[in-house]
Amino acid sequence: MYLRRAGVRVWFPLACILVLSLCACGPVSSSTYKAEPQPSPSPAGGVPSPASQLSGVATPAHLIISAIGVNASVEPVGIQANGDLATPTQNPWENVGWYSAGPRPGEDGSSVIDGHVDRPGGSAAVFWRLDELRVGDTVVIVDSTGITRQFNVTRLAYYHPQDAPLQEIFGTSGGTYLNLITCAGEWIPSQHQTTLRLVVYTTLETAR
Amino acid sequence: MKFHRAFVLFVSQVFLGLAVASMLVSVALFTVWSHHASAESPSFVRVIHASPDIGTADVFVDGALLLSSFQFGAVTGYAAVPPGPHKVQIALVSKGINSAVLTQTLQVAPGAVYTVAATGTQSTNLALKVYVDNNRLAPNTSRLRIYQLSPDAGNLNVTTPQKSLITGIPYEIASNYLTVSPGDYHFTVTSPTSNASRSIDATLDANKITSLFAVGLVAGNPQFAVVSAQVDGVPGLPNTGSDPNPSVSPDNEQPFLPWTYGMLGMMAVLCMGGWGYLRQKAKKQS
Repeated sequence: MYLRRAGVRVWFPLACILVLSLCACGPVSSSTYKAEPQPSPSPAGGVPSPASQLSGVATPAHLIISAIGVNASVEPVGIQANGDLATPTQNPWENVGWYSAGPRPGEDGSSVIDGHVDRPGGSAAVFWRLDELRVGDTVVIVDSTGITRQFNVTRLAYYHPQDAPLQEIFGTSGGTYLNLITCAGEWIPSQHQTTLRLVVYTTLETAR
Repeated sequence: MKFHRAFVLFVSQVFLGLAVASMLVSVALFTVWSHHASAESPSFVRVIHASPDIGTADVFVDGALLLSSFQFGAVTGYAAVPPGPHKVQIALVSKGINSAVLTQTLQVAPGAVYTVAATGTQSTNLALKVYVDNNRLAPNTSRLRIYQLSPDAGNLNVTTPQKSLITGIPYEIASNYLTVSPGDYHFTVTSPTSNASRSIDATLDANKITSLFAVGLVAGNPQFAVVSAQVDGVPGLPNTGSDPNPSVSPDNEQPFLPWTYGMLGMMAVLCMGGWGYLRQKAKKQS
């Protein structure tokens, strides 16, 4: 009996405080918004640019990774003021960014696509499940003319951002590669970044 | 009662043990995975032929022919090679590996980027000099590095018509990287001790890395010359994470609506009332 009464004394006020806290948190900030990445629209057609006509490869339009539920629009990205690769801006959490100063996916060399792993508050972004990919998984790029290119995962690697093999990620030639990048590890508030980066290396398998 | 306490203690200890074990397993797995990844990264090596006493040559790496008919002053692109020690041999073209005039073992690290220069003369010793490169791009600017590989030129100065870029680069030394504005340049490389100079026109593109190699002999053949090579700079890795506990900024703050205050007040009153009722009931029962 004593235990039951003690339980009531302790848990009832705590439950009230919890309910009040939950109610208070909801309307204050949009940062607690939790939404899974939404599928993107189907690939859009387009006229290849003069540059793509020369190389025979058009700019990438969509990235599809069935194994982890990714179907994302691709937007070109450049570099930031600090020299780091930029991230998507049109739809930061659901789009992926292709480094447009490098090769197009399907051209010789290392093309690179990045995407956010999470949103402010910690909910999922487009590359939330990138770490679930395994060697042999398929990564598909649909270019602006509708041509589909299939790449196969060859390796996953985690790097500290200051120690990453940048030449390997951006500058490997002698093959047709597509490297996917997102963040990993723990958040460092003082640096406003995570401790690690995940790079998924893939190699062109087929084009049709 | 004793049994209840013992049971709670047992369950809490089991959970504590599981938590510690899972943390240890996670750390171990991550360490193995991370180490495995870095060990697989190749090294990147380019080669320049800057030895005046070696004619057109064949270059062998670990016994296999890597470059054939490699001419004086030629610069290769960066090639990926497995990290670790590599035996490099240079032989006059078509003479075969057994006639190598230069044999040297080079150690290359995973992920690192190198320029390897065949330098020297028979009298000053033929050698392979290794330079660690950094091809990180500087946004909207161009980076420039000068390699002094001319055996008899002494310390070199590099100028443009507008200004002096760098002075006193000793033999077999590479300068620091200079950051310059993109554009067309007329570079002059001068040897003050030999009173010799050579000029070269080069277009330095944004986000690219340009190398100027001083090669050849001031007093002899092949003659003193400047060779340029340009490669794409590489960006740093992007920041694709987000703050899991962002502070509320004025941009994303949503104001309390009047009904929110009312609802919270009602809930607080209900909670306090319920708590008081239950407390009174408990007192009566005791």
